[in-house]
Amino acid sequence: MKGTHKVIYPIAVMTLAGTLLVGYGNGRPAHNAAANETNSALAGQPVDGGTFTFSVSSDIVTLNPLFTNDVPSGDCEQFIYSPIYSIDRKGNLVNDAYSLADQPLNVSDDGLRYTIHLRKNAKWSDGQPVTADDVVFTINALKNPDVGSPGITNYDPVKEVKKLDDNTVEIDMKHVYAPFALNALWAPVLPAHILKDVPAKQLQKNAYGTDPSKTVSDGPWKWTEWKQKQYLKFEADPNYFGPKPHIQDIVCKVYADQNTELQGLLKGDVDEDDEVPVTALDAVKAKHKIHLLTGAGPSYEYIGFNFNASNFPNNFDPFTGDKTRQAIAYALNRQAMVDKILKGTGKLQNGPFLPGSWSDPGDAATNYNYDPNKAKALLQDDGWKSGPDGILQKDGHRFSFELIYNANNSRRQQVAAVVQQELKNVGIECKPKGIDFSAEIDQNLNHGKFQAVLIGWQWNLDPDSESIFSSKYFPPNGQNAGWYQNSEIDKLWVEGDSTIDQAKRKEVYKEIAQKITQDLPYVFMYQVGDPTGFSSKVHWAPDDAPNLALPYGYLFHIQNWWVGTH
Amino acid sequence: MTEYLIRRAVQSVLVLFLVSVISFALMHAAPGGPLMVMLPKGGSQQAILAQEKNAGLLDPMPIQYLHWLGQLLHGNLGYTYKNHVPVGQILWPTVGNTLILMGVAWVLSLLIAIPWGIYNSTRTYGISDNISTVLAYLGFAMPAFWFGILLQEFLSLDLNWFPLSDMYSMNKQGNIGDLIWHLILPVCVLVLVFLASYLKYSRASMLEVLHMDYVRTARAKGAPEKHVIYRHALRNALIPIITVLGLDLPNLVSGAALTENVFNWPGMGRLFVEMAFAREYAVLMAITMLGAVFVVIGNLLADILYAIVDPRVQLGKKGGTAA
Repeated sequence: MKGTHKVIYPIAVMTLAGTLLVGYGNGRPAHNAAANETNSALAGQPVDGGTFTFSVSSDIVTLNPLFTNDVPSGDCEQFIYSPIYSIDRKGNLVNDAYSLADQPLNVSDDGLRYTIHLRKNAKWSDGQPVTADDVVFTINALKNPDVGSPGITNYDPVKEVKKLDDNTVEIDMKHVYAPFALNALWAPVLPAHILKDVPAKQLQKNAYGTDPSKTVSDGPWKWTEWKQKQYLKFEADPNYFGPKPHIQDIVCKVYADQNTELQGLLKGDVDEDDEVPVTALDAVKAKHKIHLLTGAGPSYEYIGFNFNASNFPNNFDPFTGDKTRQAIAYALNRQAMVDKILKGTGKLQNGPFLPGSWSDPGDAATNYNYDPNKAKALLQDDGWKSGPDGILQKDGHRFSFELIYNANNSRRQQVAAVVQQELKNVGIECKPKGIDFSAEIDQNLNHGKFQAVLIGWQWNLDPDSESIFSSKYFPPNGQNAGWYQNSEIDKLWVEGDSTIDQAKRKEVYKEIAQKITQDLPYVFMYQVGDPTGFSSKVHWAPDDAPNLALPYGYLFHIQNWWVGTH
Repeated sequence: MTEYLIRRAVQSVLVLFLVSVISFALMHAAPGGPLMVMLPKGGSQQAILAQEKNAGLLDPMPIQYLHWLGQLLHGNLGYTYKNHVPVGQILWPTVGNTLILMGVAWVLSLLIAIPWGIYNSTRTYGISDNISTVLAYLGFAMPAFWFGILLQEFLSLDLNWFPLSDMYSMNKQGNIGDLIWHLILPVCVLVLVFLASYLKYSRASMLEVLHMDYVRTARAKGAPEKHVIYRHALRNALIPIITVLGLDLPNLVSGAALTENVFNWPGMGRLFVEMAFAREYAVLMAITMLGAVFVVIGNLLADILYAIVDPRVQLGKKGGTAA
C-alpha cells in the first residue's frame, strides 16, 4: 500500500451524467395488504399545530407571482399569498374569509369598470397594511411589457387602474373583456412598499421571490427557508388577517422525480403527493396509511393537426378534409386509452370546455365513439384510396405523418404508440416522435412547425380559448400553433368575450363546442387524471376537502386542514 | 520538475480555454433556451422575448461568451437565467454533497478492493477469488439505480431499517450521525459499482507482476513472501491502477446521476441533468469547467504519482516513460 495513502484518488462510476432520462422505474410492486377504504381524512376535530409535508418533483423557480410559470412555484405561492378574490368549490370568483376583497366584485353594467373593495385589516408579513397601492402596483407591473410577465395578455384590455382610497381600486377597461374577472383577479398582489422603486427591467432579477427574507407576503404562512434542491419551509404568519391556519409549519420537499417522490409518500416522509404516477396506483392503494384521491384534473390532452401545408412533403397537407379529421377521431379508441393507460383516472373529453363547469356544452359537443369501419368509410368519402403498401393515398400522396410529443412523458409515449397502431388499422401511417420538451417548444410549437402534435392544455377558470383557436393568434406570436382558421368560430370567440352576461356567454360557447367538434382542429382526447395521495395524518372537514378539478385544487382550503397523529 | 509543472500548467490553461469555448458554443447551439417555457393558455410570447432581452440572451453569442468569461475571471460564475440565483449558491453545496457520497464510497471500496485483489492474485480461483468474480460481474452487469431501488424496497420500505432517501431527516439537518445513517444505502450501491472494476484491476495487475522475472529472483534470493508481494510486486502493480484512478478523478465531483436520483441525494449528477433540461447555461458551464479542471488535475496527479511509485519514471526528462 506504500504510496497510495498520501493522496486520495477518485474512482470510476458506471453512470454518466447527461444520459439520464426520467422514468427509470414504473413504481413499486403491489403490496399484499388489503386497501383500506375508510375515509380517515374526514374524521375527528381540528387540532392546531404540527407540520404538513408537501412534495414536489422539481425545485421551485421563483415565488414572485409576476414570473411564476411552473407548478412547484405555483403550489408554494398558495401558502404565502392571499388572492384578491378567492374561488369557491365550483370555480366561481368570490370574496370570502381568505380573500383580500371583503365585498363581491362590482362590475358596471356596460362591463367597462371593475371596482374592488379591499378589507382594512390585511397586513404584509412585515406588518405593513395591504392597500389599494399594492393592487395598483401589481396590475401595472403585469401590464408593463418591460417587466416580461407571461400573464400580460390578461391585463392588455386594462386601460387604467386607479386607487380611489386606501381600500378601493377602480379598473377601467379599453373594451368589454369577460375573462378578465376570473383570469386576472383570482391572483395574488405584490408589496408595493418593497418593490415600487425597482426598475421594470430589473424585477425578474430582484431577490424578491428567491430570498425568503426578502419575500414579504400576505398569506396564511410565510416563507422562512429555501435549501435549494432539498426543501422549502413555511410557518404560520402571525400577521395573517384571515382565520388562523390549523397547521403551524409546512415543509415542501423537493424530489428528483415523480418516482422518488412517490417512494417518499409510501415511506411516510411526505403527507401529500399530487403527482402519483398511474402505474403505481395499486401500490398506493395497498398502503392503508395512504388516502388516495383519483379525480380528473383541470387539463386535457389532444392531437393537434397542422393546417400549414408547408410542413408537409410537396406541400400536401393530408388533414385538410373535415371527413379525414373525423375519421381519425373515429379510428381512436379513447375510452380504452383512459382505461388502460390512464388507469381510469381520466375522463373522455369532447371539446375545449371544462366538464362540469358553467360552460360545459354537454351533448352539443360531438362525441366520437370508437368505430374503425366508419373511419374507413369517411376516408373513402374524402377521396383516399388504398395504396400498394396498405397505406391510403390521394393524388399520389401517401397518408403518412409525424406525431410529435415530449419525450420524457411516459403517458404520451404510450398513447402515441396506441394511436400509431389504431391509425394503421384504417390505413394511415402515423410516426410518433419523442422530442426534448425545450426543443419541442423552441423548434416546433412556437413556430407552428410540425405535422401533428400530442400535447395538452391546462384549463383557465374562464372558458375563453380564443388565444389557441383564433386565426388572430398564429405563430410566432400566438398559440394557435396548428394554423387553424375558421372565421365563424373566430367571431364567436370574440362574441363570447364581449359580454359579461354569463347566460349569453354560455349559449355562445355551446355553439362553439358544436362547431369545433365537427371541424376538429384537435382530436380532443381525455381529461387527465391527477391522482393525489395523502397520509392518513391529514384531515379536513367536508367543505374543505381537496377538489382536484380546480387549479391548485389539491390544496383547496388547506388553511382549514389539520394534521393529527395518524 | 518545476519546469515540467510550469509547462503542464500553461498547457492546462489552454485546454481549459478551449473546453470553455467549445462547450459554450455547443450549449447555445442546442435548441431551446433557459427562458423558453410552455406558456399557459393565453400566455405571451412577447413577454418571454422581453425576459430574454432583460437577461442578455438576445446578445450575439461571442458577446455573451466574453461577458461570461469576464465574470469568471472576476471569480463570478454568473447567475441562473430563470430566477437570477448566483450559480455558486447552487453549485458548491451540491459539489460538497457529491464529494461526501462519492468520497465515502470510494475510500471504502479502495480499502476493500486493493487488499482483496492482492490476496486473490496470490490464491487464484480459490473461494475468495470466485466470490470476488461473482461480485464484480454483478457490479458490472446490474444497473446501479436498480440495485438502489431493490435496497430501498427491502431494507427501507419493507423492513424499515434504513431511511429511504435524502441526506438528512427533515428535523435533523446537519446532524453527522443522521448523515451517516442516510449514507449507508447509497454507499452500498456505489461501492458495488466501484468494487467491480477495482477488484479486477488490482488482481490483474498483481498477477501480471507476480509472473515477472524479478519477482522470481526476489523469491530465489530467499525474501519472505510478504516482502516479495508488498515491497517488490505491489509497487509495479500500482502503476496501471494509478492511471485508472487519475482518469477517473472527475467522476468524484460529477457524481452519479442515477444513484443520486434514486436516493434523492442533492448532488452534482442530479443538478447537471436537471440544468441540462432547463438549459441553464451558466450552471452547465460551471459544472463543465469544474469537470475539466478535475480532468486536468487527475492526469497531472497520475503523472506525478508514477514518478513517486516508480523511480524509473523521471518527469520532464527526455526518455522518461510517462512524461
